[in-house]
Amino acid sequence: MLAKVASYALSGLEGFDVTVEVDVNAGLPAYEVVGLADTAVKESRERVRAAIKNSLLDYPIKKITVNLAPADSKKEGSLYDLPIAIGILAATEQLPAHSYKPYVIVGELSLDGSLRHIKGLMPILLSAMQSGYTRFIVPEANAKEASFVSGIEVYAFTTLKETADFLSGQKEASPVPVRTFSAQQAENKYNVDFSEVKGQVFARRAMEIAVAGGHNILMIGPPGAGKTLMAKCVPTIMPDMTFDEAVEVTKIHSVAGILDAGKGIVTARPFRTPHHTVTVPALMGGGAKAKPGEVSLAHNGVLFLDEMPEYQRQTLESLRQPLEDGVVTVSRAKQSYDYPARFMLVASMNPCPCGNYGSKTQQCRCTAQEIRRYVSRLSGPLLDRIDLQVEVDGISYEELRFAPPSEDSATIKARVEKARAVQRERYKGSGVHTNSQMTNAQMKKYCQLSPQCERILEAAFRKLNMTARASTRVLKVARTIADLEGSEDIQINHITEAVQYRSLDRKYWE
Amino acid sequence: MFYSDDDKALIMLSCETSYSKRQDAVERVNSPRELYRDYSHADVIIEDMKRKGIVAITVNSEYYPSQLKEIYDPPQVLYCKGDISLLKDGVERLAVVGTRNVTRYGKDVTKEFASAFAKAGICIVSGMARGVDSAAHRTALEEDGKTIAVLGCGVDVIYPPENRELYEEIVRKGLAISEYPPSTQPHAFRFPERNRIISGLSKGVLVTEAGAGSGSMITADAAIEQGRDLYVVPGSIFSKTSKGCNDKIKELQAAAVTCPEDIIGVRENKDKKENLAVQLTLEQARIISFLEDCESAHFSELLAKSGLSVNELTALLSEMEIYGFINKLSGNYYAIVEKL
Repeated sequence: MLAKVASYALSGLEGFDVTVEVDVNAGLPAYEVVGLADTAVKESRERVRAAIKNSLLDYPIKKITVNLAPADSKKEGSLYDLPIAIGILAATEQLPAHSYKPYVIVGELSLDGSLRHIKGLMPILLSAMQSGYTRFIVPEANAKEASFVSGIEVYAFTTLKETADFLSGQKEASPVPVRTFSAQQAENKYNVDFSEVKGQVFARRAMEIAVAGGHNILMIGPPGAGKTLMAKCVPTIMPDMTFDEAVEVTKIHSVAGILDAGKGIVTARPFRTPHHTVTVPALMGGGAKAKPGEVSLAHNGVLFLDEMPEYQRQTLESLRQPLEDGVVTVSRAKQSYDYPARFMLVASMNPCPCGNYGSKTQQCRCTAQEIRRYVSRLSGPLLDRIDLQVEVDGISYEELRFAPPSEDSATIKARVEKARAVQRERYKGSGVHTNSQMTNAQMKKYCQLSPQCERILEAAFRKLNMTARASTRVLKVARTIADLEGSEDIQINHITEAVQYRSLDRKYWE
Repeated sequence: MFYSDDDKALIMLSCETSYSKRQDAVERVNSPRELYRDYSHADVIIEDMKRKGIVAITVNSEYYPSQLKEIYDPPQVLYCKGDISLLKDGVERLAVVGTRNVTRYGKDVTKEFASAFAKAGICIVSGMARGVDSAAHRTALEEDGKTIAVLGCGVDVIYPPENRELYEEIVRKGLAISEYPPSTQPHAFRFPERNRIISGLSKGVLVTEAGAGSGSMITADAAIEQGRDLYVVPGSIFSKTSKGCNDKIKELQAAAVTCPEDIIGVRENKDKKENLAVQLTLEQARIISFLEDCESAHFSELLAKSGLSVNELTALLSEMEIYGFINKLSGNYYAIVEKL
């Protein structure tokens, strides 16, 4: 007999429906899987057989053929275990015909018949919902993740037996209750806070501006100055994620298999710190299965590159596309996948290879060439995309003594949210969200300067040896400072302040 | 320019790589003309120099600086590119040299002295190496002063390569000279040879920052040998890059100087103080008076002293920096530019 069970497959973040066809017929006992299945799917034979037997159901001693249609696109992963098992049961009339028809079924089987967590459920549900499916059967371990998708009925079970009993009508079950997102928000805790950052008044202010305007930032300072701690604090002052943003992030994390099953949805903004030995595919996405890379995992959050000049040049240059477009395209022989990658870049570096250049107390051991070589690893076009470059102080005795009590993240966040609201209003409907993304035309419109401001900007460039490309950066940052202050126009003090955040342009290492 | 047979002979002699062979040849003969019979090679070089805008000044030339003739082993030919009037006897020349691995201190010192010299109309002689040398040339040019770069390679060869812009400015507004014919490549052994010309051209030599065994110590020793005044700027006793300078003071071989006036005497200062026309705010004036009392202050100290908010202070300091009252140093330190 033949049974057809609806299931789903993922290609990147988008899915397509897969029909699992199971034919059980007379012949020598055998089990064949066709339809471009990968090894994990082919191995389902052993899991399905053991799971059915251990659930005290009958495994037919006949020829079993499984076809995953459409037969020309690749299927991978273990999520077809459950639909195949249900198909075998249906084909051997252990389940009533048509009882399984309304459901899209996904799940991995354990040998004892229990259902295991699968990767990528959130994107499957969202994609299948768009193609008109409304009822789903999923493993209990994925229930939390499913509970955030409203408008569908999701049934979650812990074992194959339970699933079979439900389909044959021997057991009642109700769909997973839909949760509202805001309820989760309260549990959202970061384990760092800006109040832990001592001193660093200058860098803290720069961080606030960077987050308020969505600018990328580079911190320059000696080892042990607290650059990493400050970077970790960045997500704590970013505005809370909206539900749509959270779903975008969850989809990516779900596909990558790093979603916390206990939470089901990502509520904290991601903070990703790839090590400096990271390869281009690991950063941008790729590999045989075209998995999302670190830039996509940092989507809507922070990508932190510690010791930026230590990264391979090629790796750093590959960042230019996502920084510009907010998306990465991973191309493989048969297909290309688009993964969103709109993140805030936070980078850090030492002033020189030994880290002591410019220090008052420590002797720098680097030669002029070494320093030049170190700094020149960051190419102009890349630096062009980093609006703020600030020096971080080595923590000193005075620093701790004179440091006023530090503000906590919540206070800073409130100011950031206000500035963001101003920007949302300004750029409504233009596809731009923050000052950092301003187009040239928008800059002409929103960054108009009074003659006095023009004059001081010009004086600043001459006096401080700034390079020409710095001008747009300074203006964008000045716009954000004005927004933080709630000022309609850019004033002189906004420009003079913005000038201070361009350390590298000032030929600091000359 | 016309080159006599003697000149041509000296030009050909200058192509000889070995310093001692060059010296021997000069001493052996009465007239350089006896050295060679065929000057076709010199003609090739002269053609090449014409194309590159280079002139050769030999010891016999009226343009050859008499100061340089006084030394034990004057170069027989000086290849020049730029303003050769800087070699005239009436021009007051001082050498400013130092380490290539310059610290912030060394750079500040170099700028301080070089700008005072340039303002006083003194021509600054240096070697266009990285570090102190480049800073000295650059400061002279910024102050619209005169400067001579003595190179250890052909005058048409740019070394170090990152100094291309500086080199071009020097040959446009100042002068680059070398005793080696055009296209000579830089080699380590040529730089010590070149150092004797730096001191020979100058009335005195100032070493702003130099470690023990630094190339600028060779210049310093040459200055002593040639009877030039040697000035050094003392540095921290813990700093490796000041050890050479401090040693010279300890050995009583050089005069320790701490301000440009120690060398050039107090001169009429016709500074353009237009900047002062800017009206300082009360807070700015307070910051200036605070900075006057200390060498440099950290941002957080100023924050505590001024009682302003971070963004107010940043904007204020930035404005003062733009108008040239203060300098931002690395590590978020601020210092006053000069006493007002």
